[in-house]
Amino acid sequence: MNPTKKLFPLGRTATAAIVGCFLAGCLLANVLHAASAPTNSVVGWPFTPPAEIKPPLVRHADQITNAIDNFILARLKEKGLTLAPAASARTLVRRLYFDLIGLPPSPTEVDAFLNDPDPKAYATLVDKLLDDSRYGERWARFWLDLARYADTAGYEGDPDLPNAWRYRDYVIDAFNQDKPYDQFVIEQIAGDEAEEIMGAGDLPDSKPEPTVALTFLRLAPFTEPRGDASRHEMLSEMTATVSSVFLGLTVGCAQCHNHKYDRIPTKDFYRMKAFFSTVQLQRPLPGDIFQLGGPLPAAFYRKGEKEWAAKLTDQRNAELAEPRSLVAALDKIEDVGKKSDPKISLTPEQREQRSKAKARIRLVEQDLKRLQPVAMSLRHSYGPPFEPGVPETRVLNRGEWDKPGEVVEPGFPSVITGNQDPAPIRLDPFKRWPTRSRRLALAEWIASSENPMTARVMVNRLWDWHFGRGLVATPSDFGKLSGGASHPELIDWLAWRFVDSKWSVKAMHRLILNSATYCQSSRYHDSKAETADPENTLLWRFRPRRLEAEAVRDAVLAVSGRLNPEQFGLPIFPPLPEGLAEEVKYDDSKWATQDGPEGRKRSVYIYQQRSMTMPFMQTFDSVVCDASRDRRQVSVTPLQALAMYNGRFANEEATHFAARVRKDAGESPGAQIQLAFKTALGREPAPEESERMQALMKSSTEGSDAVAAVCRVLLNANEFVYVE
Amino acid sequence: MSNNPFQDARWSRGYGSGRRQFLGRMFHGFGGIALSGLLAREARGASPIIDPLAVKAPAFPRKAKNCIMLFMCGGVSQVDSFEYKPKLNEFHGKRIPHIPKIASGELQGRLTFAHQCVGSPFKFQQHGQSRRYISELFPNLARHVDDLAFIHGIQVDNQNHGPATLHVATGSQFPGSPSVGSWVRYGLGSANQNLPGYVVIQDPRGAPTNGAAVWGNGYLPAAYQGTFLRPTGTPIVDLARPQGVSAAQQRQEFDALAWLNRRHLGDASRDSELEARISAYELAFRMQTAAPELVDLSGETEETKALYGLDHPKTAGFGRQCLLARRLVERGVRHTLLLHGVQIGKDSWDDHGNVKDGMIKHSREVDLPVAGLLADLKRRGLLDETLVVWASEMGRTSFVTGSVGDKVGRDHNGHALCMWMAGGDVKGGATAGATDDFSLCAADEPIPIRDVHATLLNLLGLDEENLTYHYAGRIRRLTDIQANVLRQIIA
Repeated sequence: MNPTKKLFPLGRTATAAIVGCFLAGCLLANVLHAASAPTNSVVGWPFTPPAEIKPPLVRHADQITNAIDNFILARLKEKGLTLAPAASARTLVRRLYFDLIGLPPSPTEVDAFLNDPDPKAYATLVDKLLDDSRYGERWARFWLDLARYADTAGYEGDPDLPNAWRYRDYVIDAFNQDKPYDQFVIEQIAGDEAEEIMGAGDLPDSKPEPTVALTFLRLAPFTEPRGDASRHEMLSEMTATVSSVFLGLTVGCAQCHNHKYDRIPTKDFYRMKAFFSTVQLQRPLPGDIFQLGGPLPAAFYRKGEKEWAAKLTDQRNAELAEPRSLVAALDKIEDVGKKSDPKISLTPEQREQRSKAKARIRLVEQDLKRLQPVAMSLRHSYGPPFEPGVPETRVLNRGEWDKPGEVVEPGFPSVITGNQDPAPIRLDPFKRWPTRSRRLALAEWIASSENPMTARVMVNRLWDWHFGRGLVATPSDFGKLSGGASHPELIDWLAWRFVDSKWSVKAMHRLILNSATYCQSSRYHDSKAETADPENTLLWRFRPRRLEAEAVRDAVLAVSGRLNPEQFGLPIFPPLPEGLAEEVKYDDSKWATQDGPEGRKRSVYIYQQRSMTMPFMQTFDSVVCDASRDRRQVSVTPLQALAMYNGRFANEEATHFAARVRKDAGESPGAQIQLAFKTALGREPAPEESERMQALMKSSTEGSDAVAAVCRVLLNANEFVYVE
Repeated sequence: MSNNPFQDARWSRGYGSGRRQFLGRMFHGFGGIALSGLLAREARGASPIIDPLAVKAPAFPRKAKNCIMLFMCGGVSQVDSFEYKPKLNEFHGKRIPHIPKIASGELQGRLTFAHQCVGSPFKFQQHGQSRRYISELFPNLARHVDDLAFIHGIQVDNQNHGPATLHVATGSQFPGSPSVGSWVRYGLGSANQNLPGYVVIQDPRGAPTNGAAVWGNGYLPAAYQGTFLRPTGTPIVDLARPQGVSAAQQRQEFDALAWLNRRHLGDASRDSELEARISAYELAFRMQTAAPELVDLSGETEETKALYGLDHPKTAGFGRQCLLARRLVERGVRHTLLLHGVQIGKDSWDDHGNVKDGMIKHSREVDLPVAGLLADLKRRGLLDETLVVWASEMGRTSFVTGSVGDKVGRDHNGHALCMWMAGGDVKGGATAGATDDFSLCAADEPIPIRDVHATLLNLLGLDEENLTYHYAGRIRRLTDIQANVLRQIIA
């Protein structure tokens, strides 16, 4: 890195102070600090800007492919350990496919990689997969967990959020386009305020894309409002979520009392909250009995989306005709019957017909709402004299909305800035819109290269998603309870590289994936390492990982050949286990089961219903997010075995997998087994494996499908759901 | 090895060195115990594998080892069930004359509007040695009054159904926190061999407000979530074998799978997660027998079925749920959540419109079954080791805004929730808290729901202060902040 290039001016200042007038600097800093903030002791990593770090020099250069390895090796050497040998090419290709696109490589893709003589074949494959649009579908899911994305509001009635899906597509696009992370941050916190306003005219309309991005702030569960209490809860949630997602600071803990572990005074929570004080939701649409708040106009902006929506809208409108006329006809019969003497009521069949038709109408109307060119977004208040101006923000004692305390100004957390000064808020030249730019001030501070947290937190998340454990083990909490970082210097170095690459997430992927650290074998045994570092914190081998629920379902579909590759669009409703939809329903307008191919799109598109997680997904630890989730759990339960073995989904796909195998491999059991292994596990069966599976086929009971039996076994194998 | 694996599985916060040793034994010796549950990685990262069966040493000895929670969805009217307030009838149709000073601003606000007091249409009578008044709607439950300890004037922080239900069910009015049963499972492990350790049976007519969030594991590992048990049909989702696959065929396939998995495990045998998954299939295989056996009531006598009201269409629904709860307790399932009522409509306790007819209907559905459950547990010697908790998300108002009409209802009141507990070390006949003469709110000091939670945990031998989990920057617990155990209802 160019040493003259200063990415962290704060760091430069600090360096200058240390080099120039060390004593004076420290004294002055201490005085200022003590005077302005209650956090009067010196705070260290990660609250101070990263210094530019040179990778440590290590011997065994042969083990190093990039600087990441220097950092990892240096720590390993301290304990007398070293990196594991590289994994086999066959293992690596499977690892990469699952990691980057969340799907297994096909047998052809495996062979292509294995037979590629180019020494750069691996790096080329990394690039190819990063350019694959399925990459966004996989990586968006991680972000959607953080954004507590769901398609319903939760609570009573669990009402539908018909436009939330557009945010999901926005996130997929953002990853695919490698949207610079600083821009990604700004769009989600203050996309509506990012444009500079120079003139004295009216506010310009917000562009569709940032309008959709702002859905991020509205994804918290929502229940019918109760005045000030609800507004306090809503803004507090935004404050806490923005802090933990972008800054790795659990500011939310300071809502009622000073943070117990980190230097976050309660006042700082409310200073942060003040940035959101001019947030304005659209009033609820007529007929919105749950009072969710209305959407904002946001034209369809993705290529072809407008046409797609128009076509689907026409189609749905046409579908309404039949059930509507049926309901009208039956209503009429009922009316006439009521007036006749004796009264004639509808037959049970007619009633059922009518209720089915009504349910169909509700579902179609639900879709029509989803197809409106609007977003579940928010804006700032237009300001006086038309709408509220900037309200006072007060500390609320013990976090209770009706116990107001001291007035505060918007300001950044003192644990980072070292002071509790008000944040500068840059209004338009005429100060015509005093309600504007508050969120922008926060967003720009977060997205600034000077912010010591933002880049560190994001590179750690990327590391966590690649390795199954972050360098800081709690990615949304860099505070004391995180237990600190295993490799703070590596985080700092990566953070520099991240900013240096203009916040390119894909550049970080390339860096990480091309390291020897990432390419290690997971099958390496070293009793010394197991004693010295039983949890493999120092990364002396690759950590095998259970696939997340989405990847398990997608992989099953990929293997059966039935994955619908269609991307983006409305939420999908895969079939549920028998009877479940009826048991969990609130009304009939929720789970519109799709038995056809539309229900077999990738899992990122599954309708996220807060009152129900699909059982199959749930057994593999998927969550329908109520709050921001930084990592998934990994649990092993008999329910998982039941879902994967007995469940309708797994069995249907196993049958299709078997049909595919029969078609392509012919009638020979040996060939069938070989193809099934290659498709599901990316490798040939060993001779004894083939023998064992042939034995299973032979002994399969009459009437059962012997090939399907093998396919079921393979889909349930540990090797299928764990990536090495 | 001791006969009781749980005694060896004591596990304190942190990552005890005994973990590996325990896991090793677990999979070689008594695979069965893993069933309910499973293995999970803690939120902190790959480091610790939580052993969900590990039992924390109880803070103090308690008789109760299991808990049955009876949750009435919609908000039960306390003044038509367990709180006798003669003043209400005296002032029926008039303004409420005395509003306690401690009534919240919200309640005071509502009472500044034109309102009329609503008397109870039901007669109250004293019962048992405790001479406690119970409404005529609960004649069967009234016979057990000396086993029950009542808690009055419980306060929840929000009186919309969604948040209030979560507050009672999870300790937080916001979604995302573990349910009471998850904490119980987390604290006590599971003593059961072939069934999940935390079971939920919802009203056959539909789901409660918030759906699965009511029994969710929140930020605790998924292993602690409630498992949904259906009272009819296939009891557990995906329990039935695939069509065309016989038990013998499945056995063969599982053997082939185990062979393949063992081979794959190879020298990675120290990976307990992969081993656990091998065991999980064996456990699932056994569950396929155990769960249908659980819901098969054909072995119960006609007398027992009648005790729970299975012979009558009005009581059969909840009666079946209650009978299943007893069968779950017998099998060592730690926590059973029974839900009565659905979130909206005539089957909810949410009687805004016609509290008289509504209460007659709802109480009829549960009175006999709940009394039957208590009687049955008692005669089998199970009541001592089972804590039974009656809950709802809130109480109801003793007044209506506007005037009393023909078919008067009652609105939400989050300041006057009434609950009762029975079994274990509960002091039968005892009372905690009290509401004012009009049951608007607590007469003196409100009892926050967290105190009830702390008491519930205490009665199971768990110390709410030490039953903690680190998540998102904080050490979390069910009660969130300091709570008081209601000692007055503990024997």
